Amino acid sequence: MVTSLSSMAAEPELKVIFEHDGVFLHPTSDDDEEDDEDEGVDRDLLVSGILRILQRDSEVVVEFRPQEDTVDPSNMLCAGKDSSSVVQWSQGSEEVAVSQLETQHSYETEWDMLNAVTFRKRQTVSTDGAPSMERNCCFFSINVCDLQSITVKDEGWTFLILTLKDSSSLPPLHFHQGGSRTFLETLQRFTLLTQSEGDESCLVVSAPNKALSQSFENLLDDHNYGLVHKLRRDPYVTTFGGFSKVTNYIMGTLRGSEETQRPPLQDENRAELLCDVIPGLEINRQEEPGFEVITRVDLGERPQVTRSDPLTSEEWSQQQDAEGRMMDSTRLRHAIFRGGLSHAVRKEAWKFLLGFFQWDSTLEDRKLLQRDKTDEYFRMKLQWKSVSEEQERRNSRLRDFKSLIEKDVNRTDRTNHFYEGVDNPGLVLLHDILMTYVMYDFDLGYVQGMSDLLSPILLVMENEADAFWCFVCFMDHMHQNFEEKMQGMKTQLKQLSMLLRLLDLKFLNYLESQDSGVLYFCFRWLLLRFKRELCFQDVLRLWEVMWTGLPCENFHLLLCCAVLDSEKQTIMEKQYGFNEILKHINELSMKLDVEEILQKAESICLQIQSCKDRPSPVSVILGLDSADADWSNVSSSHRPTTSTNGHLNDSSSGQSPQRS
Amino acid sequence: MTTKTSLLKVILLGDGGVGKSSLMNRYVTNKFDAHLFHTIGVEFLNKDLEVDGHQVTLQIWDTAGQERFRSLRTPFYRGSDCCLLTFSVDDNQSFLNLGNWKKEFIYYADVKEPEKFPFVVLGNKLDVAERQVSTEEARQWCQENGDYNYYETSAKDATNVAVAFEEAVRRVLSMEERTDHLIPTDTVKLHRKPRSAGTCCS
Repeated sequence: MVTSLSSMAAEPELKVIFEHDGVFLHPTSDDDEEDDEDEGVDRDLLVSGILRILQRDSEVVVEFRPQEDTVDPSNMLCAGKDSSSVVQWSQGSEEVAVSQLETQHSYETEWDMLNAVTFRKRQTVSTDGAPSMERNCCFFSINVCDLQSITVKDEGWTFLILTLKDSSSLPPLHFHQGGSRTFLETLQRFTLLTQSEGDESCLVVSAPNKALSQSFENLLDDHNYGLVHKLRRDPYVTTFGGFSKVTNYIMGTLRGSEETQRPPLQDENRAELLCDVIPGLEINRQEEPGFEVITRVDLGERPQVTRSDPLTSEEWSQQQDAEGRMMDSTRLRHAIFRGGLSHAVRKEAWKFLLGFFQWDSTLEDRKLLQRDKTDEYFRMKLQWKSVSEEQERRNSRLRDFKSLIEKDVNRTDRTNHFYEGVDNPGLVLLHDILMTYVMYDFDLGYVQGMSDLLSPILLVMENEADAFWCFVCFMDHMHQNFEEKMQGMKTQLKQLSMLLRLLDLKFLNYLESQDSGVLYFCFRWLLLRFKRELCFQDVLRLWEVMWTGLPCENFHLLLCCAVLDSEKQTIMEKQYGFNEILKHINELSMKLDVEEILQKAESICLQIQSCKDRPSPVSVILGLDSADADWSNVSSSHRPTTSTNGHLNDSSSGQSPQRS
Repeated sequence: MTTKTSLLKVILLGDGGVGKSSLMNRYVTNKFDAHLFHTIGVEFLNKDLEVDGHQVTLQIWDTAGQERFRSLRTPFYRGSDCCLLTFSVDDNQSFLNLGNWKKEFIYYADVKEPEKFPFVVLGNKLDVAERQVSTEEARQWCQENGDYNYYETSAKDATNVAVAFEEAVRRVLSMEERTDHLIPTDTVKLHRKPRSAGTCCS
């Protein structure tokens, strides 16, 4: 899988992976960027420039290059923070216009497959005879390896603050013309970006993950970007211990010039260092120079866990105080994690699990919320309902969404009583909610798979507006998976591969030997959260357990590991190849046992948790390093003292045998 | 006794909802389910058949049709022996998109001589009363694009489905005979490695 790339690594050439013009520096407001409420774009001239991600040999570099022309801020899109609603409205509509333009543009370039790399030149907002400023001072170029974190801020537009490992920050990059998300998504192909525990707006950069992202690119990514070079470092190697590679860091007068150059560590040195730092780690040198495989020796026993009965209506209502607040949401979530919900509770409990309702809201709060949200829903519904045929004729995106929704609604869960038959009202609701979601999030619109995610929610809610808002909550988590570049899917597949590397390197190596190391066969599992793999009732169970956020982050990845753990023997013994692996996994659909998967996945979680030498990327993926995400900690600190409720009692312990 | 058995890979491409999965299922299992799920990801089915004295295992690949899923499906194009460009006769847009599908296939399948590659065009849903694409229009497109064979099919009532797949096989066999590529094997080799990865760097 990697070998085929090696021939191309011969000549180090520069590749533009990402390019976006219309990124701005605000030089005068640099000092107190974060607190300055009045910081205005109209206060001074801005430095406009091109932000690029470049790849040179094995290095990935972020570069900001100022452009010649200056910019009159009054021409800028989404200018100023004027709070008048008229201005806000016009900002919004302009933003939509821009993003549509970008989408159209990218659509064209996607079909225009002749250019391996496209250098986009959009018309920049410009200038007549404005005084020119010294721009060379603002050029900077940094190696991705040297990034510590990226802080994402929003001031009506998005700006990013890049912080380096030496704790210095670069001047904030203001994305007045959009593109910050694409920038981050592109960066994610080379690094792992994870939300900082304390600060949601801060993305911690870790493990430049070239091995995986490049092999992934090979099979799954957009070939527009062209293929890259042979990887030189194993993802884990780069993680451990911040062996910073050459830093190219030139800053002009903005921050004073600074240049750091350290000789890159040789592979041998790095391997030796790693062996010293991490006990129990073996580094196998393969025939291929520059490519190392790290073997983990001992994961320890996999603990046994048991599951409980579903939470009943009585048990649920016992948890409400007089005004309807849910008294101990942690215990409730644990009980739901351990046994799921009986069907009657779902309609209410799912709204909490999905975040539509707050656990500490009163019944009155929730009534008000539902009233407002119902109005809002029908207002948005009216928007597409009132589009005339003439309008539709001139709106190809809306037309395409509508046509696909109509087709897919007819092909979603049609054997389920709620959606079966010809004129089933369930079908109309499914259609209407998806159309309204298109109006709610037109940039995303409708993507295949969304009808699968909505269908169980609608069936449980039996209410159009509630189902819509719960679906919105679910989609908030799933959004990235459905976006243009499917970055969420790519990230998940990479993360899954990291987990498998720890859990069963032999199996992962086997998959890689069959060109299946990118785990494309798990695509449907991840995109639809096992919706097509389990029978309907089991999907409801799996999802509510998943939504508790227990016992770790990204538990769904461990669900995948659990299924693969059960299938790996067959796959390896029968020596399945590329095609047969895909076929075998596809054919598991409707043959899986939800309780068995949940049990095994939890066991794996406990096993990884007790493994002290687990690689840090794995800890990051599962959120195991933060104290309050630690399953055992949470369990013991919330051990119930009262015995009014059997479920809540045994929800506290993940390991000890409980009633069957 | 040695029999000549070839594994041929054909791939169904076309817009979402034109009936790719239904065509595949009709041909392989001879069943039709109007309420079949839309495809997420990639699937394939095998079917053994005999065409003009040749034993063939046809491996039919079915993909998700929405533009968004392009990066998932395109890696599976490599090694295809034939491409079935599919539209639905009651959906003009799906017909207009045929050119894009062809372009996407040629690019990602890394076809060496696109003008010689066997494409077959299927206009599905012949059973539907309201047509948006006429037979003449479709034929004209096929003629202008490389003289492709065109079949109007109905996965629902089975019209022309087997004929179309068999034609695909004939097209491939005649190509391979010309270039003498038919591999004599004792067993059906179901696993064929994707042709070289990473050839797309220009």
